[in-house]
This record gives sequence, structure tokens and C-alpha cells, in this order.
Amino acid sequence: MRLPILLTLAAALVATTDLAAQGRGRRPRPEGAPNPTAPATPEAKPADDKKPKKHTAIVGGDVYLGTGQRLTGATVLIADDKIAEVGHNLTLPEGTTVIDAKGRTVSPGFVCVVGNGMGAGRNGPFADTVNPFDPEIKQGLASGVTSFLAGGAGSGPLPTAGGNAVIKLAWGDVKGMVLQEDSVVGMSVPLSPADRDKLVETVKKVREYLAEMDAFPAKKAADPNAKEPQVPQGAEKLVAVMRGQAVLWINSGGLGFNPFGGGRRSGPRTNDVDTIRAALDVAKLIGKGVVLQKPTSAWLVPDEIAATGSMVYLSPRDRVPADPQSPDTTGSNIASAAILAQHGVPVAVTCPVGMFGGAGVGTGGIMGQDLNTPHLDAAFAIRGGMDNRKALRTLTLDAAKMIGADRRIGSLEPGKDADVLILDGDPLHYATFVTTALVNGKVVYELAKEPLYRHLAR
Amino acid sequence: MTARTKSLALLLALASATVALAQDARPLAFTNARLVTVSGAVVERGTLVVRNGKIEALGDNVTVPAGARVVDASGKTLLPGLVSAFSRAGLQAQPRAEEPMPGGRRGRGSPMPMPSGGGGGGTANKAATKAVDGLYAKQAVFGDLLRAGVTSLALTPVGGGFPGLGAVLRPDGKTLETLTQDDDAFVQVTMVRDGQTKKLLKETFEKAQKIVDDRKKPPTPPAEAKPAEKPPEAKPAETKTGEPPKPEPKPEPKPEEKKDGPPPGQNPQGQPQARPQPQAQPKDPNLEVVADLLEGKRRAIVQIDSAADMLHWQQAVADGVKFPRALLVPRHDPLAGSIDVVLDQVKAMQCPVLLSPDLTTQARSRILVHPSKQLHDAGIEVGFAFGDNPQTVRAVWFRLAELVRHGLPADVALRAVTLVPAKMLGIDKQVGSLEVGKDANLLVFAGDPLAANGRLETVWLAGREVEKQP
Repeated sequence: MRLPILLTLAAALVATTDLAAQGRGRRPRPEGAPNPTAPATPEAKPADDKKPKKHTAIVGGDVYLGTGQRLTGATVLIADDKIAEVGHNLTLPEGTTVIDAKGRTVSPGFVCVVGNGMGAGRNGPFADTVNPFDPEIKQGLASGVTSFLAGGAGSGPLPTAGGNAVIKLAWGDVKGMVLQEDSVVGMSVPLSPADRDKLVETVKKVREYLAEMDAFPAKKAADPNAKEPQVPQGAEKLVAVMRGQAVLWINSGGLGFNPFGGGRRSGPRTNDVDTIRAALDVAKLIGKGVVLQKPTSAWLVPDEIAATGSMVYLSPRDRVPADPQSPDTTGSNIASAAILAQHGVPVAVTCPVGMFGGAGVGTGGIMGQDLNTPHLDAAFAIRGGMDNRKALRTLTLDAAKMIGADRRIGSLEPGKDADVLILDGDPLHYATFVTTALVNGKVVYELAKEPLYRHLAR
Repeated sequence: MTARTKSLALLLALASATVALAQDARPLAFTNARLVTVSGAVVERGTLVVRNGKIEALGDNVTVPAGARVVDASGKTLLPGLVSAFSRAGLQAQPRAEEPMPGGRRGRGSPMPMPSGGGGGGTANKAATKAVDGLYAKQAVFGDLLRAGVTSLALTPVGGGFPGLGAVLRPDGKTLETLTQDDDAFVQVTMVRDGQTKKLLKETFEKAQKIVDDRKKPPTPPAEAKPAEKPPEAKPAETKTGEPPKPEPKPEPKPEEKKDGPPPGQNPQGQPQARPQPQAQPKDPNLEVVADLLEGKRRAIVQIDSAADMLHWQQAVADGVKFPRALLVPRHDPLAGSIDVVLDQVKAMQCPVLLSPDLTTQARSRILVHPSKQLHDAGIEVGFAFGDNPQTVRAVWFRLAELVRHGLPADVALRAVTLVPAKMLGIDKQVGSLEVGKDANLLVFAGDPLAANGRLETVWLAGREVEKQP
């Protein structure tokens, strides 16, 4: 028993050095997520639970944790729908279903920050309309997607209701499909001076409200008749953002797309450094990091973005030439993701803007092929110079952060949802296939049993 | 025996009767026919005797009564008439305005949304609305359907949730009176995958259960006068068919109220409707209908379009909510799961299932499948909803042939368009099979109905030959 512990400690040490080498050291771990590689209580099984847990173990694979680390020949132990432990030489409880992953890689399920279809409902609340038998779910799982944000963020001068939900591809499970609703709130920049004034005003009110709320318990104790402070009208979403219950997405490119512009969503002057600064201005105003949606020229101001604690999602495959009038503040760069990551900005990837809009992973794009290759966008980030291991985070943990779901998904850490992929190669290699996918601890996709890729000999 | 003595008595009565009745009263005999009874064994070469529109006798050892009009059916096959338990024929002008706009905010790429039947969720319980009130009787479609072999058909209310009371029609004549056989045959319940409908289903069943519980309480206060005239409105129609409430499909936990056949028709009036509350609230007839359903006094046809909808139905309607019902899946939806994907849940419904007879595809592939065999193998009674388009109805034999080729037993396939839908509509005592005492609704086929040489030659409705189209 001593040797394994030593081994895990060594692994942890290596992992930590890795982290530092990747410039990750100064970013805090997600709250509530214990260090995965040092299982402090290897035998601490919740024996007092009423219902015996159903255990599944994925054994012997090269495990990518999604945090940037990799454990060779490790085991992922799943209890019901959560990850119980990840490490070497784990003691498997009796009756554990063992899935052999020797010679394979194991990765957290991919998280797409923008998606559509795949069983997400369309009318009414998501929980009442999801379609757990949508064939697109299988297609998504075959591509490694296990969660995505459906519905997108809203837009407007003030943070608005998104009408969105984090959907999990839990085949056949209505309840398991909706992780949370409205965890993303959207708005657009640049703001007119009047709108900015209004935003400043609202933020001030929200701050006052939050301060009152903080003081309220004490006040209530002193005076039982004390009235609970009211949420400032129209600021519910902003309150959620400033409390950290929702993530603010800022669109700095306008929503209209130009079908005649060679597939570009808008002209070269949107998403330039000025509009990105306008978005960062909002972040400073509310004192929270925001998510910049496909900020074409973000690579020109990575430090400014990092300083506000903001995040970025983009497609390394989007190409926007610089405006000859202002070449220093416009245009895209294949190295965007790498540059931003080097400066400590979390980056997530999505598919490129198509001829007819639709930058979401799903079958909405041309021929529906965006759904088949989400991992290739991460591969293109590597081509742009991003660290090989860190690139996986663009599809896992960092993507989960952007949709406000990183406490539940995005990495293989104890306590998180058991959304796990077993792949026949490097997760981001173009020729890799998902052989098995688990969502909420249940096997929902098996390459050999589904007709999708059965015809491909290997 | 009784049938024989009865017929004897009838014969005597007829002998002394005047000629005026002769036309109808003259018995009719099909001889040398292959009789596909559907309910029992096939009689390879037998005789079927019809008198007064009913089947008087059938078998291979039946003598043709004296004076009978004999139809030589050598080489012909006799089948009971088709029963369509899912039809909207005659409802053309039904307003469909209350459909909610399909919201566009969910982005692109999702499969086509609209559940065929539901036409959108309803926000209101309209269970007491009779579908026949929206019937346009003067339509050629009924004659066309009859000539295509449909001798009984439902009138299915349109809408989500509780769109109303379905009727049973006899496609005979062009007036409401001649068409309507039972204007209060079943409660239509339609699952639509949206928040409104799920909420409506959940709340309505809960409220109705409360009414049921109230009814069970002893009627203590004699002082309370009878409530408003309103409630009876929903009920009296039940009298038409002899035994509308069939307790068989789902034995209710408290059957004592309905042990004997006749009462339910009168029950509503006779029942202690006055509730102990001091102020007599006007009852909601719609809720009363659902309460009757929960008490087992009515039957329902529950429409659930896909496997996904079935899971949502289970979320909305508690397991404990039991009532006499049939499940209707009028359309395959491979994009939301064919119904056999949730076989266990279908089994748990404990009721017959009415499916579209068309083959469907597995998910997005071109692999042709049909859930009927799996359901049948799992012990679930399977029927087919072949709709209300005369062209489609004429093709139903071809569809059945395909299904038999896919493994469904032929006798099951034939029962699925006759006796099973009749059971779902509660008219299986009168129609649906070739049995003594049932209506003589007959289809005369040259050849095997399922084979290419099979041809529907004549249709007989209650012992009368249906005229071919002029």
C-alpha cells in the first residue's frame, strides 16, 4: 500500500510542476475540487449511504484529467453518476463494473460553449422539452461532446436573460439532460454613452443591494420585522452575474451576419481592439471577469484581458484580414489561442463562423459537419502554438468555466459528474475516434454498437 | 342457445309479418366462404348467416335458413369491417388558432418540432367538449371511407392536453344523427412535449383525484340542495352504447360502484353530487369528466408521439394515476425515439397500443423498422391507426403485408385493424370480429387480403351491401 501512495505523490509532484510550467500556477483551482492526484482518503468510501452505490471503473488508460495533467495507466473510479477517485492502484469496491481502457486514452467529455440541436428543447423550459432520444445526441457523443450550452447568450445594452441551458447528452434520461438553466447572461458592446450611463447606474444600485443583503442577517437578528431588500428592477440578471451565479458573455461584434461577406459575420472593424476594450470596460465596471465571444483581435491585447480576469472563446479557424486603415488594431491570428493562454487567459474553442452564420457545434452548419469535428478546433489552437496539453482545456475545463458549469463538469476530479470519454488515440488527433462515452456515469455511446462509424475498418 | 331461440321467435314473428319489413328481414347467407373471424379460428369453408343486420350464425356446419338470400362466396374471404380508432374525418374546419407559435429562440438545427396530432399544447382542460360538436357531417369522405372498408371510426378531438371527448361514428348517412353512434366514447388525452401541457396534465389529474376523493366521502348533509344544472351536461350521452364503461382494461381499486352494468349511465344523476361545502361551487364539467375517468367510468385514448414524450409523460403524470386507457402513437418519430425504445414504460402503461402501420427508419438511417413486433412479443396488444384518408385506408392491407413480412403474425395484423381498435373505442361487443350477435359489418375479399391478388370486392354495413361509387 505504501508504494502506490508514494507513486501518487510523485505523480502529484510532477503534475504540479507541469502546472507551473504551463503558466497555470497563479490561477486558482475551481472551488470545491480537491486535488485529484493525491487522494487523501483512499479508503474513505461512503459506507453509511442508504442505497449502495453502483461503481464503474475505467482501468488502465492514459487519463487526461482536463486540468492539463495526464496520468499514465491510471484508473477512473465512478460511483453512481459522480467521479469517486482518479489515480493508480485504486482499491475497487466489490461489484465494480470494470471497463478496460488499456492502450486507450481517457478524457473528460468535451464541453462546447456554443451548440444547438442534440436534443435541446425549443419551446418552453428546457427541462420540459428536451428530447433524450434525438439521434444527434449519438452523433455528438461520437464526436466526444457530452455537454454544451444551448440557446446562446442574449444581447442588448444591459445584461439580459439568455434563455439558455447547459445540456448534457444523457441519452434516454430527461432529468439528466439539463444541468442548469440560465447560467449565461449576455450583452453587447459598444454601448452608447446613454446606455453606458444606465449600466453604471444599475451597477451602482446592484452594489448597494448586495451590500444591504450582506448586512441583512445581522439586521434581521436585531429587528425581526426588518424588510428584506428588493432586487433593483430589471437588474436580476446583473445581480446573478455580480454574485457569481451567472457568467456574463459580451458580444463585441454585433449579431448581424453578412452572407455576402465571404462568410464573415461582420466587417473587419467589429471585434477590433476598441470594441474589446469596451467589453473589458464592462468587466471592470462590474468587477467580474466576462467572456468575450470570438474577439477577433484579442491577441493584440492579451494582458488587458488577463488583468480583468476575463475569458475568451474563439475558433482558431476563423480568418479575418486586418483592416488596411488600422492594421494595428484589427485582424485575426492563428496564434490567438496560444497568445491568450500564455498570458493566462482561459480560452475555449468552438467551430468557425459559417457562410450562413451559426458558430455553434451542432448540425446547424453547412452539411451539419460542425458536429463531427469539435476537437479539430482545439487541434488548430495547437497549430497556432498552444501547449499540447493545455489545448484540451479549451474543450473541457476552461469551456466549462465559461458556461458556469466548472463545478460539475470539465475535468476528471473527484466529486464531478462522471462524463468520461474513452478514445483510441490522443483526444485532439484528427484520426482519433471515441470508443466509449459515459454521461452521468452511464455508458451512452459505444463505437462498436452504433451504426455511425461501424463501417470504418480499423 | 338463446340466440337460436331468439331467432326462432324472430322467424315466427317474421312469418306473420307484412311485406313491408321483408326487404330488411330476409336473412342473408354467405356460403362457401373463408371466414376470418379475427376473434377465433379461421373457418376455411363455411357459411355466415346475417339477420336484421347482425350475424346470426357462422361456421362450417351452419344451415342456410329457408328463404334466405344466398351469396355464393366460393373462393372469397370474409373479414370484419375495419375500425379506425384515430380519425379526424369531418373535422376539417376545426379551428387550429390556439396553437402556440413555435418559438424560434432555440436556434437552428433542431429536428422539426410539431407533434402530428397535438397541434400544440393547450393551456386549458377542455375534456368535456364533444368532438361531434365540431363535426361537418355532409362530407363525401365518410362514403369513401366506408367503400374502402371502414365500418366504424372514431372522431378524435384535436389539441394538446385534454382537447375533449371523442366520438364513435358509423360512416353511414350524411346527418349528424345517422353518423354518430356514440358522441361520448372516450376522453382524448394528448401529450405534447412542452411545459404548459405537462403542467396541465399534472394539475388536472391532481384536481380530479381530489374530486374523486370528495365523491367517496359519505353524503352526510341532507340539507344541501342539488347543485347547478351544469354537471349532467357532460354525461347523459353515455346511454347510447350499452356498456360504455368497461372495467376490464384496468381494474380500479374501488370497483364497488360499478359492479353492475347499467348504472354508470344513470350514475351521475343518481350520485350524491352535493358536496359538504356550504357554498355550492359550480362544478367544472371538464374536471368532472377527468374525475369520472379516474373512477373508471370512462375510458381514455392517450396520445404520446415518441419515446421522448413518453419519458416526459411519466414526469408529468404520477405512476399512481391509473385509468382505463389505450395508448395512441399515430406517427413514428425516429428523431425523438420510436416507442419501442421505451418498451418498459409502454408495458407499465398496461394497455393496448395503437401504432401507425407504416414502416419507419431507425434514427436517421435508411434501415426500415417497425415497433409492432417488439411490442407484440412483449405481450402488449397492438392495433394500427390507419387514419382517415380513403387512399391510405385502401393501402392498409399492403402495410399489413409489409409488417407480416417483418415478423408480425398475420392474425395479429388483422386483429390490429379490427378487434383491437374496437376495444379501444369500447365497441368490441358490437363490432370488430365475426361473432354471433355482432353487427354484420363485412368485407368480402377475392383472394388473400394481404396478398397481391387480394381485392376488396364488397363492403357490407349491418347486413346491407354498400353501393359502389356511381
